[in-house]
Amino acid sequence: MRKKKCVAMLLAGGQGSRLGILTKKVAKPAVPFGGKFRIIDFPLSNCTNSSIDVVGVLTQYRPLELNSYIGSGSPWDLDLSNGGVFVLPPYQTGKTGEWYKGTANAIYQNIPFIEQWDPDYVLVLSGDHIYKMDYNAMLRAHIDKGADLTIAVREVPWEDASRFGILNTDENDRIIEFEEKPAKPKSNKASMGVYIFTWSKMRKYLELDEADPKSDNDFGKNIIPEMLNANEKLFTYTFEGYWKDVGTIESLWESNMDLLTLPMPIDLSDKRWRIYARNPGMPPHHIDKGAKVYNSLITEGCEVKGIVHHSVLFAGVTVDVGAEVTDAVVMPGAIIERGAVVRRAIVAENAVIKAGAIVGEETGNIAVVGPGATIASGETVAAGVQIDADAQ
Amino acid sequence: MKDVMGLIVTGENDIHLGELTSQRAVAALPIAGRYRVIDFQLSSMVHTGIKNVGIITQKNYSSLMDHVGSGREWDLHGKQGMVILPPFLTRENMGVYSGLLDALKSNTSFLSRSKQEYVVLTNSHTIYNIDFTEALRAHVANKADITVLYSRNKASGVDGDDTYYTVDENNKVIGMEIGALAPKGDAASLKIYITKRELLRQLTEQGAANGLHDFERDILQKNINEGTLEVYGYEYDGIAWQIDSIQSYFNFNMALLDSNFRHNLFPSERPIYTKVRDDMPARYIGDSECDNSLIANGCHIEGTVINSILFRGVKIARGAVVKNSIVMQDAQIQEGAEIDHCILDKQSVIRRNGRLIAPAAYPIVIAKNVVI
Repeated sequence: MRKKKCVAMLLAGGQGSRLGILTKKVAKPAVPFGGKFRIIDFPLSNCTNSSIDVVGVLTQYRPLELNSYIGSGSPWDLDLSNGGVFVLPPYQTGKTGEWYKGTANAIYQNIPFIEQWDPDYVLVLSGDHIYKMDYNAMLRAHIDKGADLTIAVREVPWEDASRFGILNTDENDRIIEFEEKPAKPKSNKASMGVYIFTWSKMRKYLELDEADPKSDNDFGKNIIPEMLNANEKLFTYTFEGYWKDVGTIESLWESNMDLLTLPMPIDLSDKRWRIYARNPGMPPHHIDKGAKVYNSLITEGCEVKGIVHHSVLFAGVTVDVGAEVTDAVVMPGAIIERGAVVRRAIVAENAVIKAGAIVGEETGNIAVVGPGATIASGETVAAGVQIDADAQ
Repeated sequence: MKDVMGLIVTGENDIHLGELTSQRAVAALPIAGRYRVIDFQLSSMVHTGIKNVGIITQKNYSSLMDHVGSGREWDLHGKQGMVILPPFLTRENMGVYSGLLDALKSNTSFLSRSKQEYVVLTNSHTIYNIDFTEALRAHVANKADITVLYSRNKASGVDGDDTYYTVDENNKVIGMEIGALAPKGDAASLKIYITKRELLRQLTEQGAANGLHDFERDILQKNINEGTLEVYGYEYDGIAWQIDSIQSYFNFNMALLDSNFRHNLFPSERPIYTKVRDDMPARYIGDSECDNSLIANGCHIEGTVINSILFRGVKIARGAVVKNSIVMQDAQIQEGAEIDHCILDKQSVIRRNGRLIAPAAYPIVIAKNVVI
């Protein structure tokens, strides 16, 4: 295999338990987003658009759907003879072999994978954010500064800063301190969980970390503080633009709703920075006589006979006569039958809302109907309630 | 269906399609909101399990090549996969074939080096979604030399261009009429044939040696009349629509607005594959209105769309009205403009407050890249 300047490692092993029923059977990066995408399409497409063509995807929790979604990597042009996308689950090695113990350990266990490419730099990504970012620009900054580690940050409102991992820097953006969720933040530079390491340094600290039995093997808790203690060169790289952590039901819903504002805070129609996705191959959607559609995103394969207002409909969704869908995210293949009402809700893949049922309320928390669940005729799902198909 | 290959012959007479095919073969004509005509033939072959498909091209094949690419979207990019067979210009062959037999003659080497026993031979201007497996079984069971697919509900083509068969109770073809004004048979030819690869190669070479060009007249009809080949029919009762005029193109697209028709042509177990464009979902903005229309991804709708088909990436500005029209990819209808019974080719633009109202019987075609 030929040498690569930079390889990407995408941490996709977490359960994402805050997404509740939506990640009961799939890993968080495989959760649908924005009418035709899955969350992982964003970091994968960013890699393709940044000319980074080796991407290791570290999986652990419920990997089947994610694996088949990634497949050969062709939707992202990552099916290459020299490079491409590689799914990397934990594996047995002789007498040993174990689960990924933490984010740093997941990379540690894949040192042989990285060494195959003899890279100078390693980009670490996570699979739970919606953003468009040129990693190559960040890599240039990393090289220009002669950094050992560069951490992408964005400036958050000061009142929110105590909810994030905050990086305190000097006037040259050199990091002097890392504080996880500080009560009294000294900076508003929040870590995005996007790191570029110089590989020789990264390898050294991964090995040191692994040798420490007390370590949590985590980048935020262990690797970064160790490197700061040793006075290595850590810099921030400020990212401007839309970035959203979609790790909770509320934030996933909000981020979908963000796509309905004008202008779109994240332009998904930009031909110079396309977000690629696997395509289900359905005919165009049909808006029937008497149907009404306002301020919505509607994907191929949908059949709309009712009213859709301020909502995102994924591929192959049916909204039957007299049904009303408002402020909702309706995932692939879901069916909203006659006269049913859905508002402030996420209806997951292949769920069925029977005639006359009511899901969600005008105010309050987001109601969620889980993948494959059925809401019977006349039933009601209150705000904030999650319906699990397995519990039915 | 490992033992079957496919052959798609493109470059039909497209004179009645006018401007729509001036720069492209019928096979590459955009249709049904996000497809090209050839997607239907290719997908049918793929769903039959055919892995080796040759596409015989003639003039204007660059957009067709661009569309099918390596065949990846149809999973035809494997070791066998898809082969484009462009005209091979020699002293004998000037690049335009004078008939199906002529087209096959230039590609006998492809037939020779293919390994499969059977071949499904199809034209490239009929829309259908067929799993050929049953027809192949019937072909083998009948011990037929050639099986011709026919339909009793095919939307008929341009006058004088249709072929009808007469079949007996065993589906054996006992008569064949080409271009008859009042045909006796009711089994309209779909111009899809199943035969052994080796037989097709022999018939082609014999025909060429005798200076023949026309597969239907010189091979099929002759052998049926003389009883020298066992020719059987196979009835296909699904949708079959020949795209050979502006009116047939317009009517086919409009027929798709009917849900039953659409679901018959696009059953979920046999999707039609096409080149992917990676557009975002369609966006409906502000006071947009949409009634009985098919809308592809990437559209941006602020105006009114009624009884129409919008391809990928079409922009309908505020106050614009689109009725009974077909708007191909990336075309724009600007503020206050209005169109009715129009076919807008790719990237065309109707400027602010422009009006183009055509009669239902004669839709207007606006050529690619034209700004009005």
